[in-house]
Amino acid sequence: MKTPKIRFDKVTKRYGELTVLDSLDLDIAPGEVVAVIGPSGSGKTTVLRVLMTLERINEGVIWIDGEPMNRMRQGDALVPASQAHVRKLRSKIGMVFQSFNLFPHMTVLGNCIEAPIHSLGLPRAEAEARAEGLLAKVGLADKRNHYPSQLSGGQQQRVAIARALAMQPEILLFDEPTSALDPEMVGEVLEVIRELARTHSYTMLLVTHQMGFAREVADRVCFFEGGKFVEQGEPNAFFTQPQSPRAAQFLSKVLQAG
Amino acid sequence: MNTVRISALVGAIAFLVGLAFATFSELKVFLPALLKGLVVTLQVAGLSFVLFLFCSLLAALGRTSANLALRFAAGIYVEIFRGTSLLVQLFWLFFVLPEFGVVLTPMTAAVLGMGLNFGAYGAEVVRGAILSVPRGQTEACIALNMPEWKRLFRIVLPQAFAIMVPGMTNLTIELVKATAMVSAVTLVDITSAAVKQNLIHYRTVEIFLITMLLYYCLCQVVRYGSKLLEVRVSRYRGALN
Amino acid sequence: MNWDWTFAIHTVMPRLLSGIITTIEVTILAFLLAVLLGLPLMLLRVGKNRSISVIVGEIVEFLRSTPLLVQIFFLFYLLPEVGITLPPFATGVLAIGVYYAALCSEVFRAGFEAVPRGQWEACTALNLGRYRTMRDVIIPQMLPPIVPSLGNYLIVIFKETPLLSFVAVAEMMQAAKLIGAEFYRFSEAITLTGLLFLILSLICAALVRWVEFIVNRRIYR
Repeated sequence: MKTPKIRFDKVTKRYGELTVLDSLDLDIAPGEVVAVIGPSGSGKTTVLRVLMTLERINEGVIWIDGEPMNRMRQGDALVPASQAHVRKLRSKIGMVFQSFNLFPHMTVLGNCIEAPIHSLGLPRAEAEARAEGLLAKVGLADKRNHYPSQLSGGQQQRVAIARALAMQPEILLFDEPTSALDPEMVGEVLEVIRELARTHSYTMLLVTHQMGFAREVADRVCFFEGGKFVEQGEPNAFFTQPQSPRAAQFLSKVLQAG
Repeated sequence: MNTVRISALVGAIAFLVGLAFATFSELKVFLPALLKGLVVTLQVAGLSFVLFLFCSLLAALGRTSANLALRFAAGIYVEIFRGTSLLVQLFWLFFVLPEFGVVLTPMTAAVLGMGLNFGAYGAEVVRGAILSVPRGQTEACIALNMPEWKRLFRIVLPQAFAIMVPGMTNLTIELVKATAMVSAVTLVDITSAAVKQNLIHYRTVEIFLITMLLYYCLCQVVRYGSKLLEVRVSRYRGALN
Repeated sequence: MNWDWTFAIHTVMPRLLSGIITTIEVTILAFLLAVLLGLPLMLLRVGKNRSISVIVGEIVEFLRSTPLLVQIFFLFYLLPEVGITLPPFATGVLAIGVYYAALCSEVFRAGFEAVPRGQWEACTALNLGRYRTMRDVIIPQMLPPIVPSLGNYLIVIFKETPLLSFVAVAEMMQAAKLIGAEFYRFSEAITLTGLLFLILSLICAALVRWVEFIVNRRIYR
């Protein structure tokens, strides 16, 4: 079998008494687009956050391309990873946040070249060329000298996507990318993500409340509840014939509402 | 409002100087003495302002650092300098340190004392500003794999800067006013010059009102400068609005 | 290193401790004066009369923008000239009290403006007079939130009392200076003064936090 791009191996994350990820297992193949859905407050965002190393996990191992991320090999044993090791593997991952998290004191272009210059060490000209290409792709080439506060929410999120892409990651994480947006701006952001899923070979992990969108772009849908993936499956099958009662209940609620 | 204040100020100074000239021929003597004092005040204020900024930043970085020893050291520094009086610190630097073999010139002692003292207060302002930069900014930096020190100097501090301007302005005004104490280390600043001139000429009202107006002007200059700065950095505040 | 424990304990400490009493007296009296004077200043400031509020505002700004030390000297030299003879202690309390009254009036104003407009409107709807509204509704609500700031000023005043040593009030710093002048030894006196200040201001801070706690508990229960 091919090495999975991402593997969660019995990953457990606790906040004090609360167990958010309960010995979670997950394999994602290279190029696969996976949508994580589930009730709000269930901690599905945490799946992305531990993968991005924004949260430390309590137990288990996360593997990227067959390399342990929170651990590293020393002989046969796995020891806690060094900062350098984490940074090396982290460079394969890009993330788009629910609240954009653009740098407010930098222009759109500044946001997109900051990390390529200061993290990858790219020359400024090359970083700018790359950023301009990406901004054109998300349809914001003309906003390059604007500040984030001058843009609409949808535009800001598109900049955030371009900023993540500028690091040339292999894995893209989307953490509820449209939840903080006004309804009329959701479409433009989804369009960009849809385009990425169709034309590129990124491995994508997507937490979303947009069921229709998940069904359309994902290769696989994972229903997350109570720290575990209760059900996984091919989108059409999952949305029409959920196997578990919890998933069926959840789907009937959200589909009724929306 | 500001123009009203400035014109009232200019009027008041003109009136006082005129009054002094009309009734009091020694003006030629005491005004130059006060102005000489003003130069010393400005020197102390300027130099200790630089030291104040430096200490504030350093101590704030210490207090927000992940390193326990650094946090502890910065905490001790802040507590000691905020817990005792500036005047006591000035005396200590100037009169006690020599007994331990360290002799400071009056100017060094004054600048060191004021800088360290206000640095301890400033550290809290800077720390508050650093902590109020939204956590998402740090997370974005991690997601973009930026090294820790670049995260601090390129993302967090520039945004904290905009937040700390009002607090640091107030401290700067306090610092300007606190320079009045430097006669404790035998420097002849405006205040000390005023007291000396008053003992010679007994013109309390004129001498002290002019002295107070000079300080008032200095403080207004600081406030005005901070207004200009605030306009410049206002765009940095985007994420907070 | 030049430190003499016998000298420190037998000569310095007794004198400093008698200075402490004066320091504490000045602190408390000046603080009371500041609060009692600050409230009417604030009322004038937020009052209906535009010109009075502007003038009071400018006076407050002027007091805030000039050093306390200069104001102390000014009062110290001015009062005898206009025929008022006060002991240096009273002059010192007066100067510190007036200066911090200006600062406290700003704190009061912040508290005043933080009371929601709806409270005023409710009082109008209940046909309460302006005085009643202030006394029974507005002031009781504006006080608890500003307790920390006021308490903070108590500590600040405490740390400013050494300024009075410039006009020979016999507080702690003055006692230390006199010891220094008398024996030509500064280490013990000034270091101990610093330590006493540190200890007292830590106690003071704890006290302020405790009062804050009590006030908050009474309000929110």
